[in-house]
Amino acid sequence: MHEKILKIINTVLENRSKKRLESLTPEMHLRNDIGFDSLDLAELTVRIEAEYDIDIFEDGIVNTVAEILKKLESY
Amino acid sequence: MKLFIKDIDNERLVTWNFLIDDINNTSIYNPYCKSADYYTVFKHIILSLLLDEEIILLDSDFTKSELIQLTGHSDYAEFIKPIDKSKMSLLGNKKELIEKLSNSHNKWKITLFTSGTTGIPKKVSHDFNSITRFVKVSERNKKSIWGFAYNPTHMAGIQVFFQALLNGNSMIRLFGLNTEGIYTEIKNNGITHISATPTFYRLLLPCSEAFPSVERITSGGEKFNEKTFKQLNEIFPNAKITNVYASTEAGTLFASQNDIFTIRPEYENIIRIDNNELLIHHTLMGSTDTEIDEWYHTGDVIEIVSNNPLKFRFVNRKSEMINVGGYKVNPTEVEEAILTLPGIKNVRVYPKSNSILGNIICCEVVTRSNQITESSIRAFLQSKIQEYKIPRVIRFVEELSTTRTGKLKRN
Repeated sequence: MHEKILKIINTVLENRSKKRLESLTPEMHLRNDIGFDSLDLAELTVRIEAEYDIDIFEDGIVNTVAEILKKLESY
Repeated sequence: MKLFIKDIDNERLVTWNFLIDDINNTSIYNPYCKSADYYTVFKHIILSLLLDEEIILLDSDFTKSELIQLTGHSDYAEFIKPIDKSKMSLLGNKKELIEKLSNSHNKWKITLFTSGTTGIPKKVSHDFNSITRFVKVSERNKKSIWGFAYNPTHMAGIQVFFQALLNGNSMIRLFGLNTEGIYTEIKNNGITHISATPTFYRLLLPCSEAFPSVERITSGGEKFNEKTFKQLNEIFPNAKITNVYASTEAGTLFASQNDIFTIRPEYENIIRIDNNELLIHHTLMGSTDTEIDEWYHTGDVIEIVSNNPLKFRFVNRKSEMINVGGYKVNPTEVEEAILTLPGIKNVRVYPKSNSILGNIICCEVVTRSNQITESSIRAFLQSKIQEYKIPRVIRFVEELSTTRTGKLKRN
């Protein structure tokens, strides 16, 4: 799952002509560390939803990679 | 209040006194204003009012091709002219500045661009009376500290600006900051008023802290669900939450405590309901290049709750405009931009609902070559249109899905 999330995040980054991430750590903050803005976060939800059928932002904002993983695991 | 604006993103901390000195020392004026610096935009608007001249606001992220399409130019240096100092007396203090700004302005108008119903954004101009129609100046309002949560070149931002300006308030930029930054600014500056899109508030949630300084929360567009509403009430325990109906063409029109709008008697003659669509009288409108009839069709479909007094709620929009986090996107404009990329045969732009932005822009394309990828389309569009208009999900298809009438289907 970790690899897949990295791949999705990199797709979003590349689409904005931003630099790819080499690796992903759970404590990474989506906005502060990865540099996502609200448009990127929205794209991230769509891509994760397409893959896992879960809207990770349904109950409010998710801030870190660990929080995404937790959401996906709880399903 | 000493502070005029604080904008940490641009490292600005500007007092009213600095603003006054800066205006007194300014010797040139350009009617075109394109800047990402909030202070620069605000000072420019104030200068235009003092000179009683038109100001044309351009989004700082307009691309070169958008600028040429909209204004015929992409560089505005040739429009700079010297200020006739004999016509503009030196300002002494804040009170004098606000007095001058509140007085009538005959020639002044403010022009901005909004998503039109045709391909390209359209120009809308407002005079001083129409832009300040809903500004309330009072002793109580003079104590407000505004969290500025809009783009300063958009209608909603301009209305917040005038409310704060004419009351001599302080403005603290929140737009574009991260969640932590927003909370820090609210707390450190004792912000009392925030007006923002539903997306802005959604991105603040959840939060375990409360901010008692905030007295008023205003939001427009889509309504909050009950959960969001409850969470906002917890974070801002002393705030009254108001929903407004506004558009670039007419500015703010109605406000309500929930999703039901009550029309005050003095408004009954200037709005009309036709076939469940809200129409507003042309006297409420800014001027546009296109002729408008006596009644302007807003494209907003409403449901009447009661007739006397008139109460209604908004149901949906008739037009195809897509609301992306409070920004209106015209799908035709995006389609036209994509079609200029060589190798694209056909395209359909459509919205997909999204828990952060309300909607996001998607498209399906038919290509002539398999050289074209999602990222190559996105990179191409970055030089053509503003970021929020660019489709976030691109599907490659053999042919577009159309309705039976042959019209491109959006939903």
